[in-house]
Amino acid sequence: MFAYTVRRVIATIPVMAVVALFVFSLLYIAPGDPAAIIAGDQATPEDVERIRESLGLDRPFLLRFTEWLFRVLQGDLGVSIFTNLPVSHMIQQRLEPTFSLMALTLVIALSFAIPMGVLAAWKQGTWIDRLVMVFAVMGFSVPVFVVGYVLAYTFALQLDWFPVQGYSPLANGFGGWLSNLMLPAIALGSAFIALIARITRATMLEVLSQDYVRTARAKGVGQRSVLFVHALKNAAVPIITIIGIGFAALIGGAVVTESVFAIPGVGRLVVDAILRRDYPVIQGVVLMFSFTYVIVNLIVDLLYTVFDPRIRY
Amino acid sequence: MPPLLEVQNLQTHFGTLDGVVRAVEGVSFHIDAGETVAVVGESGCGKSVTAMSIMRLIQTPPGKIAGKILFQGRDLLELTEPEMQAIRGKDISMVFQEPMTSLNPVLTVGRQIGETVMLHEGLSAKDAEQRAIEMLTLVGIPAPARRVREYPHQLSGGMRQRVMIAMALACSPQLLVADEPTTALDVTIQAQILELMRDLKTRVGAAIMLITHDLGVVAEMAQRVVVMYAGRKVEEGSVEDIFLHPLHPYTRGLMGAMPKLGSSLTTTGRTKLTEIEGQVPSLRKPIIGCAFAGRCPEVTDVCRRMAPAIEEKAPAHWVACHYAARAMAAA
Ligand SMILES: Nc1ncnc2c1ncn2[C@@H]1O[C@H](COP(=O)(O)OP(=O)(O)O)[C@@H](O)[C@H]1O
Ligand SMILES: [Mg+2]
Repeated sequence: MFAYTVRRVIATIPVMAVVALFVFSLLYIAPGDPAAIIAGDQATPEDVERIRESLGLDRPFLLRFTEWLFRVLQGDLGVSIFTNLPVSHMIQQRLEPTFSLMALTLVIALSFAIPMGVLAAWKQGTWIDRLVMVFAVMGFSVPVFVVGYVLAYTFALQLDWFPVQGYSPLANGFGGWLSNLMLPAIALGSAFIALIARITRATMLEVLSQDYVRTARAKGVGQRSVLFVHALKNAAVPIITIIGIGFAALIGGAVVTESVFAIPGVGRLVVDAILRRDYPVIQGVVLMFSFTYVIVNLIVDLLYTVFDPRIRY
Repeated sequence: MPPLLEVQNLQTHFGTLDGVVRAVEGVSFHIDAGETVAVVGESGCGKSVTAMSIMRLIQTPPGKIAGKILFQGRDLLELTEPEMQAIRGKDISMVFQEPMTSLNPVLTVGRQIGETVMLHEGLSAKDAEQRAIEMLTLVGIPAPARRVREYPHQLSGGMRQRVMIAMALACSPQLLVADEPTTALDVTIQAQILELMRDLKTRVGAAIMLITHDLGVVAEMAQRVVVMYAGRKVEEGSVEDIFLHPLHPYTRGLMGAMPKLGSSLTTTGRTKLTEIEGQVPSLRKPIIGCAFAGRCPEVTDVCRRMAPAIEEKAPAHWVACHYAARAMAAA
């Protein structure tokens, strides 16, 4: 197990290297002169020149990439063109709201989606199954911002159950934290719930027709244990896989959700940075999100072996 | 004393898109305590469905079960699902044909055996593992203390079937339903598993309903035989009756390749049911006349028009054939 973990961690290094190269190249992939793009329409030629120098654009690409990479490895993501503050510092300040939102979304999504999928598979063909499937199709086809605005209008503006927008740090109390994040997490989670519920249902349908489920019933195992112990554990690998893949969409959705609910997180930071063409900040955030995604998928890989003993390290 | 299990006029039908499949059509038989009864017949004649009906593991709908299944005097078809759960695995347990797929791949062997005793005898997880080790020892698995922690994929097919048997016997059931327990195994392993079942039967004292294709297995294991065809019981009798004086042409067809007379009871060579000419009738349509008429070498007009009733032609020897008397005279 330990050796496997080490191997998996090492295997992420080339992935991260490619990600880093891509993130660094962002500036150059965009068409036109990066310095002019950053400087914007109203910039004087002197401004453009100053930016060109500060970015070191006059030196060879590979040299600059290597230097940048070394600094990144030491935790130095550069300095924001707009605020002149260190990018790593700016991201750090915004991490808590974003991670809070994602964590709560995951918890809500899993605790709803998995029972829903299991129930739909068990009651296949009944109105319960159909209801779950209708919800799954809807949750998947309505965009996050629409769900967000509808939720905010109904439950915050009309019913006044939750704050309309904003964020309250965990340090100021769990209740405030939760009530601020509840609607955003539901909005962000609706597509995720739909995705996981569908894959859970499909996988469970297949598992429930297996011989070992019949064996469990023949032993006198009750319905709940048949579903949630004997069957669900066999359905775990596809479900975890889809969670890992869906995490990318969750990151993208978080950026939108933070804008809708005015949550001062990394998503808002990157949206602002894009509007200001603050490339070091954009690079830093993209790098951080990519890193998170790689880590999540590393965890997914390790979880496979926990749920399925046949998967060899 | 009433029999341990008494199946009365069992009918199990399945509603499908293209009509009702009459998988079991009016089958009656009984099993006494400690007795081994073999159920034989070609594939598709309703043996498994009969077994699954007794366990009440048929999904309803699409399935529909009618008749009576009296177990220790109680009709299993009248019980609620929780009452039935208390019986499954404790009083009646089952071993399936497919050892490779019948064990849960993500749970340890010990967990799967132990679960039964935790459920039915309220044992703690620790005691359950101890029982699992005892059961593995009983079914002759070496290094049981290590094996309980292993997963099914780490065991061979024969080992897995031993685990299935260990699981089935963990609560000392009154009745073991074994649905072709050796069909999927190599010949040498088959012999070992049968040996094991015979040995355990004398120790645990369970009655066995043994479903099999294999007449050699019947001769070695059973006291009585039920012959099924197209969802019906066509003949029933002691092993001697069935092997030495088969009264139904279908039974005689099955025996076709068997060496004649008493030698068949002692021979160890296994004989599969021989192929009988012709097709098994469709179970989707009601069958008029004798179900075997289409394939019977001795068929007459009467057979095609009228279904023969099942009658006791000799003591405890039942047969459903218009010409059973003639067969008896010839025997
Ligand atoms: N769930 C089901 N739906 C429809 N038909 C079924 C179902 N289960 C079994 N049958 C049919 O019942 C008949 C008897 O099957 P089975 O009892 O498995 O035969 P066997 O004697 O080989 O064990 C077969 O024709 C089979 O197709
Ligand atoms: Mg069968």
